[in-house]
Amino acid sequence: MPRIVASIEVQGVVMNNHDLACDQVQQTVVLFIDHELPSDDQYQLFEFHFQECEPCLELLNTERAAISFMQNLLRNTCNEVAPEALNARIQATINSLAATSTVEFFSQTTITEFTFDGTTSIEITQEFTQEIRHEFPYE
Amino acid sequence: MAVALCPMDEKAGSELAVVDPTTETLAQKKARFERDAFQYTNQLYAAALRYTKNPHDAQDLVQDTYAKAFTSFHQFAPGTNLKAWLYRILTTTFINSYRKDQRRPQIAAGELEDWQIHDAASHTSDQGRSAEDEVLDRITDIDVKAALAALPDEFRMAVYLADVEGFSYKEIAEIVGVPSGTVMSRLHRGRKLLREALGDYAKDRGFNRGSGGSDE
Repeated sequence: MPRIVASIEVQGVVMNNHDLACDQVQQTVVLFIDHELPSDDQYQLFEFHFQECEPCLELLNTERAAISFMQNLLRNTCNEVAPEALNARIQATINSLAATSTVEFFSQTTITEFTFDGTTSIEITQEFTQEIRHEFPYE
Repeated sequence: MAVALCPMDEKAGSELAVVDPTTETLAQKKARFERDAFQYTNQLYAAALRYTKNPHDAQDLVQDTYAKAFTSFHQFAPGTNLKAWLYRILTTTFINSYRKDQRRPQIAAGELEDWQIHDAASHTSDQGRSAEDEVLDRITDIDVKAALAALPDEFRMAVYLADVEGFSYKEIAEIVGVPSGTVMSRLHRGRKLLREALGDYAKDRGFNRGSGGSDE
């Protein structure tokens, strides 16, 4: 996980230390852009910093533009459509699996039991898995 | 092996009606699977093309994915993220059954220790956006696909899942089966490598064709 030091969560401390804050912002600006900062507080700290710091704002805009550009490029390129033959194969596979299964197989889920804390009982789960393999060679 | 036992959280599909998988008949389950899962065939096929790098294997991979998804559909919690669940099966199946040289790690074992997000930032911070924009305008779809295909598998998956599909780091971690920190490392390095590769393509085209802009 990103190494954001604890002090960044205390606004007064971090914002008084301009160099430290710039260093942190530069190393984690990608997380800000990707919406992956660990807490809402940190977004506020970053936004406050960008208001105050022209070089970091410039870095943010440059990096965000580069990432957006690449994303658009990739999304416009990687948009192949599945061939009709593939869709037909998938449908045939599902039809075949459904035909070779049994209704009882699906009702097996009712025997799955949970302990008080929601953990699935191990013995019953294993039995269940064997049942799946028996019914479905694909698994 | 069993795949995708843990339901994905977040982004619950609003289109999914609340059902009880334990009382559903086979016909109902099949109908629900077709209604909810078949809409992703294009996306999964495009992803499979990136994974396998050829249409034949990509189609086999998607077909296998749907077969496994159907046989495991009782394990999918209705209302959770079906797309991420299907991607997890696709990715697990690819890693276990389709990837060439499966025993050999695709990237160095030291990827976790030496990652620096700053690497990615510093690459663009020292050059103007407009200059990069200009050279990248010259690259073609074929260049983009070739540059993606040239990335190590792990980097390519991370970039694709984040930047094309828009999955969060946490979702990608569940799909690929690695910690979020590893996803972050792979994504940032993958983006950097991709950017550099496309920059090289663009420069080559610039030299070969003058400043005529993009064609093809």
